[in-house]
Amino acid sequence: MPEELDPVIHAPARLRVVASLAALGRGDEVAFPKLRKLLDMTAGNLSTHLRKLEDAGYVRVTKTHEGRMPATYLALTDTGRTAFADYQAALMDLLKGAQG
Amino acid sequence: MANGPTSDTPAEPEGTAGLDPAEMLRMIQQQQEAARDATEPDGRVLFGAWGLAWLIGYLAMWSTARDTGVPAAWAGWVLAGCIVGATGLTVVHSVTRTSGTRGASARVGAMYGWTWFLAFMAFGVLLGAMGDAGASMEVQAIAANGFACVIVGLLYLAGGMLFEETRMYAIGGWMLVTAVLAAFAGMPNTYFVMAVAGGGGFLVMVAVEQVIRTRRRSPGPAERTEGGGRDA
Repeated sequence: MPEELDPVIHAPARLRVVASLAALGRGDEVAFPKLRKLLDMTAGNLSTHLRKLEDAGYVRVTKTHEGRMPATYLALTDTGRTAFADYQAALMDLLKGAQG
Repeated sequence: MANGPTSDTPAEPEGTAGLDPAEMLRMIQQQQEAARDATEPDGRVLFGAWGLAWLIGYLAMWSTARDTGVPAAWAGWVLAGCIVGATGLTVVHSVTRTSGTRGASARVGAMYGWTWFLAFMAFGVLLGAMGDAGASMEVQAIAANGFACVIVGLLYLAGGMLFEETRMYAIGGWMLVTAVLAAFAGMPNTYFVMAVAGGGGFLVMVAVEQVIRTRRRSPGPAERTEGGGRDA
């Protein structure tokens, strides 16, 4: 089964990251602390997963400044959105296969 | 600061042992619902605040206007207080929910919020001008209630289009119906129409939102987990 599913997304922590970002509108970004709180992960843990998703081209990381404070915003790229849709479709297929 | 590589990252198990597709799909659904709750205003809170504000405020106007033909001053203050309270709650709730997000939705949302403010500023000035021009209390009451419903109705219709929210569009249409009903009800019943059709309309939306949420949470076909998922 893992062969059919995108290994980048197919890890519970990263699946939750991608699912959360996919719930935002296209062209919307969420700040790192807000995403961290939503997922209830440690900053280091979330950073590690985000880097993997960024390396795969699924997540766009934008570093900026708000006043004097550095801020990081995360968004799903179009590639990431497509990959997530494909992943969900693959899960549905597996489910149908298991029940059929 | 929060993004540097840190040593507190344990080697996470990469696999999803023990998770079957149904569990994965349920996890996705729950996570997305949590994400939307964290970033989008809750319709139940906003509709609820405005429903109660209109119901209480306009019932106060109606009950006092029934005796003398003119609403008592205290009823006017109750209505004003209800409107101010609902406005404050809407602003605080929306800003809290959407903080930490930016992009197209945040820009559109901010413009939408300002549109309400600008529309009601203009509304207040127009009403004042009508009073100065000698409009009677009845004419002013009909204009105030009718135009308030027209503005609310049109802005909800616009919101329905902007955010692709059918329910928002529907309540917008209903508020235009309320405007007509309130205009023809005459004094003092125009206030009763505002309370029941207007406030009641918002409160019906609270119930609709609640039903939709409950339905979304109830197990669908994708969540049947019979057959055991751990025999792989």
